[in-house]
Amino acid sequence: MGRLSVLGWQALSVGAGLLAWEAAVRLGVLDAVFIPAPSAVLRALGTTAPDTLPRLGDTLVKTLLGYALAVGVGVPAGLVLGSRPVAHAVAMPYVVALYGVPKILILPWIALIFGIGLSTAALSAAVFAIFPVVVLVAAGTRDVDPTIVTVAVSMGASRPQVVRKVLLPAVLPSVLTAMRVAMVFAMLGALLAEMLAGNRGMGFQMQRMALAFRAPELFAATAIVSVLSISAVLFLEHLNRRLGRWR
Amino acid sequence: MTVWLWRALVLLAAVGLWEAAARMLNPILYVGPSRLPAALGRVLATRDLPPLADHVWLTLGEIAAAYALAVAGGLWVGFLLGLRKTLGRIYEPLLAALYAVPSVIWYPSLMLFFGLGPASKIAFGVLLGFFPVTLAVLAGIRQVPATLVTVAVSMGARPWTVFRKVMLPAMASTMVGGLRTGLALSVVGVLVGELLGARAGLGYVINYAYGLMMTAEYAALVVLVAAAVLLLDGAGSLVEARVKRWAG
Repeated sequence: MGRLSVLGWQALSVGAGLLAWEAAVRLGVLDAVFIPAPSAVLRALGTTAPDTLPRLGDTLVKTLLGYALAVGVGVPAGLVLGSRPVAHAVAMPYVVALYGVPKILILPWIALIFGIGLSTAALSAAVFAIFPVVVLVAAGTRDVDPTIVTVAVSMGASRPQVVRKVLLPAVLPSVLTAMRVAMVFAMLGALLAEMLAGNRGMGFQMQRMALAFRAPELFAATAIVSVLSISAVLFLEHLNRRLGRWR
Repeated sequence: MTVWLWRALVLLAAVGLWEAAARMLNPILYVGPSRLPAALGRVLATRDLPPLADHVWLTLGEIAAAYALAVAGGLWVGFLLGLRKTLGRIYEPLLAALYAVPSVIWYPSLMLFFGLGPASKIAFGVLLGFFPVTLAVLAGIRQVPATLVTVAVSMGARPWTVFRKVMLPAMASTMVGGLRTGLALSVVGVLVGELLGARAGLGYVINYAYGLMMTAEYAALVVLVAAAVLLLDGAGSLVEARVKRWAG
C-alpha cells in the first residue's frame, strides 16, 4: 500500500469517526451534556477564540520557561554523567529513582512556596522535563564509541576540534531526542500545575470548564492543546531530520 | 564497593542538606527529615486525618482495575495492529501522534464524563497505561525475525506453536518493558486523578493534609507513596530481568 493511500485511509477513518460521533449525539446515543457533537465543539472553538489566544500564550510561556530550565540544566548534567563512569555509577540510580517517582506528589508543595502563578507552573514544567533529559543524554553520551575519539586524537585533532567535530555530532541525536521528549513533559508539567493550583492558562480553563459542565468549551480547549503539542513534536522531529542530514 | 560508599555519602549529604535548609527556613513550608517519623506516626494513627487504610485499599483497587484494563486493551490493540500489517500502517501513526499529547489534558473530560468517583481515576489510569503496552507489542512484533516464522510454518508448525515458540521469545523483553512502563503510568494516572479532585483515596488524603496546611503529615505521606511506587517498580524490574533471562 502506497504512502498516499495510507494517508487517505487515515483521513477517511478520522472523518468517518467524527461523522459517526456527530450522528450518535444527534440521534441521542451519546449524551451531549457529557460528549458534545463535533459541530458544537467547532462552535465553541469560535466563541472562545478571543480568550483562547492569551490563555494559550500564558501556558506556552510557562512551558517554554520550564523547558529552557530543564534542557539548560539537564543536557550538561547528562553530558557530565555520561562521560564520567564513576559519577554515572554513583548518581544514576538516584536520577532514575527520581524519574520514577510521580512528580505530581510534590506539586502541592511547590504551589505552597511559589503561589499559583507563573513560577509554580514553570518550575513544575522543569521538574517533569529534566529527568528524561538527563537519562537520555547520559545514555547517548555513554554510547559514544571511544575509538572514534582515539582515532581523531591520533590523527592530530586538537581538543576543541575533537569536541566540535567528533563528540558533538555523536551525542547530538540523543540530545535532540531528549529535547523532543522534554517538550511534551514540560507541557504536561505546566498544564498539571495550572489544573492543580492555577488561575490562568489552558490547564486552568479545562479544569474549570469540566467542573462547570461546559463540555463544548472543554473539548475545544482540549483539541487546541493536543493540536499544538502534536505540531510542536512534529516540528522538533523535522528539525531532527534536518540536523541528521547535516551530520 | 567504593561506588556503594559514594552512593551512601551522596544520600547522606542530600538528607543533611535538606535537614539544614529546613531548620533555617519557615517550618510551616519546609519539613526536615527529622520531623518525618513523628508525622508518619500521626498519619498512621490517623490523628486529625481520615483513616488511611480504607483510602489505601481504594487506591490499590483503582490501580489494579486500571492496569488490568490497560493491559487487556493494550495487548489486544497491539496484536491487532501488529499482525494485520495494513491496519498497523494506517492506525499506528495516529496512535503515536496521540502519545505525543501531554496526557493530562484528557483528564478533565474524563472527570466530566465519569464524575469525581473512582471511575474517572480508573479511566485515566487505563488511558495512561494503555499506550506503552500497545507500542511495546508493536515494537516487539517488528523484532520477530520473519525468516524464523517462515521456517517454522514450512516445517508444519501450527499458528499457536509459532506464536508460543517463535514470536513470544523474540518479543518478550520489549513487551515486558512496555508492561512495566504501563504499570508505572497506571499508578501515576490514578494518583493524578485523585489529586486533581476526589472524595476518597490516597490522593484525597494527601490533598486533605496539604489543604489544612498539615505540611509535616503531607510530607510524610509523599515520602510513603514515593517509597511504595519505587518498591513496586523495583519488583517490576526483577520480573523484567527474569523474563529477559528466559527469552535469552
